[in-house]
Amino acid sequence: MSLTKSLAPDEKIKAGKLGTSLWKAGAGIAAVFLGISVILGSMQGDHWKRFLYAYVIGWTYIFTICLGALWLVMLHHIARGRWATAVRRIAEVVSCAFPIVFIAGLGFVIPLLAGYQDLYYWAHHDAHDPILNHHLHHKLSWLSPGFFSIRYAIYGVVLWLIARYFNNKSREQDESGDPKLSEQMRVASAPAMILFSIVTCMVAFDVLMSMAPKWYSTIYGVNFWGSAMVGGFAALALLILGIQRSGRLVHSITPEHYHDVGKWMFAFTFFWAYTAFSQFMLQWYGNMPEETVWYKYRLFGEWQWVSIAMLVGFWAFPFVFLMSRWTKRIVPSLVFFAVWQLVFHWLDLYWNVMPQYDWEIVTRGNVTLNAGPLMGNIAYHHVGFSPVDVTVWIGLVGVLLVGIGRNLKGNLIPTKDPTLPMSLSHEVM
Amino acid sequence: MAHHDHNEPAEPAHGNGDGELYGVLAEFDTPGELVEAARKVRDAGYTEFDCFSPFPVHGIDEAMGIKRTILPLLVFCGGFAGTVGGLLLQWWCNAYNWPWNISGKPAWSIPANVPIAFETTILLSVFTSFFGMWILNKLPQVWHPFFRLERFGRVTDDAFLLGIEAKDQRFDLARTTKLLQDAGALAVENCHLETDPSRKNMPKWITALIVSSTAFALIPFAVAAKARNSHSSQPHIHIFPDMDFQPKYKADTASDFFPDGRANRGEVPGTIARGNLAPDELFYRGREFPADRSQYNECKDLAADQPCWTRGFPQQIDVSKAFLERGQNRYNIYCSACHGHDGEGKGMIPQRMAELGGAWAARDLVTTQTVITMPNGQLFNTISNGFNTMAGYAAQIPPVDRWAIVLYVRALQRARNALTDDVPPAEQNNAASQQLKAPEPTK
Repeated sequence: MSLTKSLAPDEKIKAGKLGTSLWKAGAGIAAVFLGISVILGSMQGDHWKRFLYAYVIGWTYIFTICLGALWLVMLHHIARGRWATAVRRIAEVVSCAFPIVFIAGLGFVIPLLAGYQDLYYWAHHDAHDPILNHHLHHKLSWLSPGFFSIRYAIYGVVLWLIARYFNNKSREQDESGDPKLSEQMRVASAPAMILFSIVTCMVAFDVLMSMAPKWYSTIYGVNFWGSAMVGGFAALALLILGIQRSGRLVHSITPEHYHDVGKWMFAFTFFWAYTAFSQFMLQWYGNMPEETVWYKYRLFGEWQWVSIAMLVGFWAFPFVFLMSRWTKRIVPSLVFFAVWQLVFHWLDLYWNVMPQYDWEIVTRGNVTLNAGPLMGNIAYHHVGFSPVDVTVWIGLVGVLLVGIGRNLKGNLIPTKDPTLPMSLSHEVM
Repeated sequence: MAHHDHNEPAEPAHGNGDGELYGVLAEFDTPGELVEAARKVRDAGYTEFDCFSPFPVHGIDEAMGIKRTILPLLVFCGGFAGTVGGLLLQWWCNAYNWPWNISGKPAWSIPANVPIAFETTILLSVFTSFFGMWILNKLPQVWHPFFRLERFGRVTDDAFLLGIEAKDQRFDLARTTKLLQDAGALAVENCHLETDPSRKNMPKWITALIVSSTAFALIPFAVAAKARNSHSSQPHIHIFPDMDFQPKYKADTASDFFPDGRANRGEVPGTIARGNLAPDELFYRGREFPADRSQYNECKDLAADQPCWTRGFPQQIDVSKAFLERGQNRYNIYCSACHGHDGEGKGMIPQRMAELGGAWAARDLVTTQTVITMPNGQLFNTISNGFNTMAGYAAQIPPVDRWAIVLYVRALQRARNALTDDVPPAEQNNAASQQLKAPEPTK
């Protein structure tokens, strides 16, 4: 009995044409669905507001999947992991989609810069009214379209550089087999992890939480990260399956690896619920109007059904069933839960963003003011589902597939990584 | 891989006890060989055998044909019992046995129960996995016949051992030994039980130790049981005295030493406690001794050495907008709970008491004539020392802030009783435009 294995001699480890067909398929999906979305968005009659809200959700969705992949790569290095070496290249490929993802995000950043006021309330001129928004006033120097765009660019560059560093070093090792490269990546992964955490938090604050600019929550970024990791690992499981279906890596990636990917998905499913409840619990108990209002229009009125669906669908059901060893080891079962969680991860983002779609109008004397979201009148907040919500999402997933496909080339497995033999013989006891 | 040079040939049994045969113990060189040997022994149909190694060996359970443990299922049940138990505990305490109205919140509320239910879930899961692991592994095992073999002592160091018990149906000393030797054993030893019954049983001193320590452990329970069923005039047993008993008097206790029988001693006449010197009557007490008393209604007939409530502010106070804002801030913190942000006496506490069917009166500060005409000094005195059911705030609010509150109450009164002429001419027709103002009235 050997504790290490080497690559099976008949293993197909080259991406070949897989990447090309993937990015072409992705481009097709993106073109068709974003095209439909533009038509649907223009028919909404709300000056593209619904379209842009859906766009922010869809963009955050593809962003979080890259985030999950990059996190696995860094964690694997920082902890000198072994099990994930066989799937690490696939995660590296996903994380290298950051440039395309951030270019896609210009779809909502450019309108903001061009003076569009209906996406983020802080960009609206009524946000500057000192009586209506005295809670918001001190935040407006941070939340301004110009500064927002600068930060957006910084986030993109930082994540792109981190992803590129690990991808390049890893591919360099494919050529040279130099074990020192592993050590370099391990040393680099610690500061990279810190940068990653800060950027993740800031993106959560800037892109999602500032939808409700008068609200406060310091755990928001952590909660966002938990949800992002669920999406990231679910997508990774599906991508591995897709690559194996194409006849590649069939011997190297075993149910042991699926099991560990499933364990991460399970762990973050609970972590998301834990942080979501931590956020809710303190605000519910503290009972301060400026905090509870955010929950008020989610837990009452139409949105309460979405909230219940989140509790059951994103946490209770997958939590109970993914607890078992077998639901993670039997690949079709794991794939079912991966698809399930990918849908609910989208619903989580939807639940975070869309309740802010409805803004309240108030009058003072003979002046009419837009008070934005968060005035606490439940009657204003409708789920108001629109087909454009879904078509934009699918279109942007197509963009992500382009990003993944463009990088899916060369070896699909780090062939000369010193830990590969241990990963190939990995066994979950 | 642990390598050692115990390469002695497989040897027949040598005496380690003279009783019946318990089983055979074989040593292997590597964990891999141990796994292969376990597979061969299992394939030969043996069931009563076990493997011993210094560390967990991958694949050994599969090779030995051991089924997966049911421990995860037990842990799940334990955790579930913890969730349900935690919720029941809180329901019983908070909603059933001792419901208590805390700020009008529901007696039993799921969100508040989640953290405790979460903890009890973890607690019972951990208990089940910890104790379940011990029980399922038949631990603690203080004695085993293999312990007699010197070779077995190395099992925590570098020995990979496989033992087959003689009670196995397929056991036959010669054939079993051959099987193990063919599987690559470095050595195969026989293990015999003792015939001497005194050595077969547990040594007497161990029995004595267990009995006596069990009895000793019962003492606290016996003491507690006795205490619950008897009366005593003695104070509690003080196990850790710390600094609880000191040769000193505590407040409001009796003393035989002093003629008045009290441990409390008053201030020595003519002294003032450190930091308590408040010489300025006007600033600290709101009183003054005016020569001309014609404007002082309530004290114009008193002698010149009798104090009057001041009408103005002490000279230390700079009556400014910043000071007024300080007053608003302090008022909203200390006073608004009862008197309301607008001073009308409809703060949250009176409102809530009315809702609950009780009564909690707070003086309307802005329309009651006696308060409007009350001198500043008297208002200051009321804040300091209280009035009717209102307690004094001298301990919480320093004098400067009390004066700031006086000023703010004056501003509230002025605003509440404002006339149209007080509004700037441009705003006079726009009286309806106040609906979006914050709850506090403007200054």
